[in-house]
Amino acid sequence: MAAAGASVVLKAVRRISVRFCPFESNVRATREFLVLVGSEKARSTNMNCEVTVEARHDRSPPLVQVTFADGENLVMKGANLSSQEMLSALKSRCTARDPQAKAGGRK
Amino acid sequence: MAATLCGRLVPRPGAGWLPLAHSVRHGSKAVTRHRKPMHILKQKLLAVTEYIPPKPSAPPEVFSPRTREAEQESGLVVFLKRDLEALFRDHKMIAVAQNNASNAEDTLILKQRLLRHDIRVKFFPVKVVRSFLENTPYRNMKPLFIGHTVLFVSKEPKAKEMLATLKGSPQMVLLGGCIENTLLSVQGIVDYSRLPSHATIQGQLVSGLTAMTSRTASMLQHHPSHLSALLQQYVKQQSAGAAAGVVAPQSTSVPEGAA
Repeated sequence: MAAAGASVVLKAVRRISVRFCPFESNVRATREFLVLVGSEKARSTNMNCEVTVEARHDRSPPLVQVTFADGENLVMKGANLSSQEMLSALKSRCTARDPQAKAGGRK
Repeated sequence: MAATLCGRLVPRPGAGWLPLAHSVRHGSKAVTRHRKPMHILKQKLLAVTEYIPPKPSAPPEVFSPRTREAEQESGLVVFLKRDLEALFRDHKMIAVAQNNASNAEDTLILKQRLLRHDIRVKFFPVKVVRSFLENTPYRNMKPLFIGHTVLFVSKEPKAKEMLATLKGSPQMVLLGGCIENTLLSVQGIVDYSRLPSHATIQGQLVSGLTAMTSRTASMLQHHPSHLSALLQQYVKQQSAGAAAGVVAPQSTSVPEGAA
């Protein structure tokens, strides 16, 4: 898939909360995103990152909320997105934060 | 042949030898290692007599439409479907969960914990399950089966134990289930697990139904029972008054006046 091994470096992420209604038809992307983010590889990059999943039945659109370590929130409404788009959005923000930390550490 | 013609060729010292006369006889033979250039007359003949295939007026698909052969289900799929059918028939509780990449160790521990309560963990390919559910009354469960799904099946509906065990593994996300032929969501399963036992529910139901009728009966009987209670009290007081009447005649006048 992607060059970084189809997994994100979640070092800068504090919490990822995924909410969807399994009986709706637009949840495929959200569920795939959940699988990618909840995989061993992704979780091993940051053991403190909590991944919480809520399966509701209230016809609400699927929602992914990512809380970063510096307090910023990323809200992704997965009804019309694809899992790759969501993953790339998350990755870009993670790498934007991560090299800063790395570069600051090295220097 | 080359030996007889060598006389014609004049080997000039230091210049190599050039053929003075170009003759076919000492060109390449009929069978050569390289591709021999065709004679011009042969080339012309072949060009003129090239084959031009007739062009059909309509593409061949118009005459006979392309029929895709109906895909035959492989034996494994048939076997799995039979298995699923038996599953749905025999097991009262079937819950669907999504598996977010739990490793083998966790899966083993979870399986073992669930087996203690006689809940089996089943894995089926999603495509097979979806095509199977299409033709059953359970087709509304189809949207649950996307991605990596696991089935928890048990003959007795043991929702409470299942929920308690699943709390211990954060990777399994419960999506819904079918308990006793009723499709339930996660909230439904949680509520089901909180239900009291059968006998308690029956008792509650009976008491609820008879509450109204018993209230009506008590309301109807309220007045005559009140009256009879008052009369009894009066009789008691009368008898008490008559007994004490010899001692104190004044006290009896009060209850007589009140009645």
